[in-house]
Amino acid sequence: MIYGAVISEHYRRPRNQGALESPDAVHEGFNPLCGDRLRMEVKIEGGRIAAARFRGDACMVAIAAASLLTDFVRGLSIAEAAAFPREQLLAALEAPLRPSRLGCATLPLEVLRAALRERL
Amino acid sequence: MEQVYSQLEALGKSERRVAMATLIGTRGATPKKEGAKMWVGADGQVRGSVTIGGCVDAKVIAEAETVLSAGAARRLSMALGDEDAWEIGLSCGGTVELLVEPLDLEGALVRMYRRVAGEIEQGRAACLVRSLRDPAQSLLLLQGGESEGTLGTPELDRAAREIAFARGASRSETIAGEEAFFELHTPRPHLVLVGAGHISMPLVPLARTLGFRTTVIDARPRFANRERFPEVDEIKVGIASEIIGQIRLVPSTAVVLTVHDYKVEVPVLKAALASSAGYVGMLGNKRRGKAVLEMLREQGLSEEQLARVHVPLGLDIGAQSAAEIALSALGQIIAERGRGRE
Repeated sequence: MIYGAVISEHYRRPRNQGALESPDAVHEGFNPLCGDRLRMEVKIEGGRIAAARFRGDACMVAIAAASLLTDFVRGLSIAEAAAFPREQLLAALEAPLRPSRLGCATLPLEVLRAALRERL
Repeated sequence: MEQVYSQLEALGKSERRVAMATLIGTRGATPKKEGAKMWVGADGQVRGSVTIGGCVDAKVIAEAETVLSAGAARRLSMALGDEDAWEIGLSCGGTVELLVEPLDLEGALVRMYRRVAGEIEQGRAACLVRSLRDPAQSLLLLQGGESEGTLGTPELDRAAREIAFARGASRSETIAGEEAFFELHTPRPHLVLVGAGHISMPLVPLARTLGFRTTVIDARPRFANRERFPEVDEIKVGIASEIIGQIRLVPSTAVVLTVHDYKVEVPVLKAALASSAGYVGMLGNKRRGKAVLEMLREQGLSEEQLARVHVPLGLDIGAQSAAEIALSALGQIIAERGRGRE
């Protein structure tokens, strides 16, 4: 196992994968070099994240990070979700990532922030 | 098979009366096969060809004028190795049989060709069965089971329906004691390339030369663009596994993955193997292929589905360069298509 149990588990059984009916915020982003591409959809109720879902073709690290992140932000205010700490997401992956793979782990966060930008 | 209706539509803009020649039988070596067509307008336009444009086509033009004057269909048999052809060194040595008939551009037959065009557009095949005893009698059979017209009797129609799509090519047959020509119209083959890397670049022009419609899919606009793929019919940039689910993957579709990345290969193969795509191939060596197929197996795909994936893809021609790999891939796609017709 290259990346450890958390990444493996979330890649094989990703949480919150798919689409939302009538999402309030949507953004699709990609890594122009490796081609990881993700779309984030967010449902907002009473100023808070009611649900977040993602779909895309991305590597194990990016899928696992998207899976974790969509769980973490549920219930947060829009501002809190947009400011979700990068370090907390990286730590949750429980795997030492080479610098070249950090972009994979943070792609979902960048896409989520872009989705929420217009709602702030 | 030429797109008959689009030719007729174009001719109809400038011609009042048109004769249509259809190659209904061949023996020996002939440059075109059954179903080839040529149209000759009363005002002089010529479209299509039933040979390679040699002496037979010249005779067909002359015959078309006779047919238009008489207003009745004729059957002709011509040897390609006739004296004139030998004289100029163009003999192919075979014999062709032709049906030359006047066409009413507003008539039932042209309406059937319009319906055929609609079916092709939807990715479905259609078979137009012509009575050779009385070419005015035609039966259009659609892949979905619908039909239009008649060959004259329910017995003939039933016999035609039983064998219409069986051989996968246009041909003449004797059914219920009568000769009929089965004109099979199939959708233009579609090559869907997942991955806009350097292997896909020579695949597009080569596939187009072979008559394929081409689509290139990639997540990266820097790779999937008109500068790199000037001849491609369609470029789609986005989530490949989502895009593949929006494309109609039918038996005339070949899906080729050149992306060489499991994150795309696994979900795209999953979608392609759930479809009736006629060919699914993936660039990569046996070891990589085995690993990707194992991931798909874990996701619940059956051995029967996995067996459809050609990996490594292509015929074994010792391909090294991107163009050679493209050639070997297309060779395999065409070979598979041929096997499907047997």
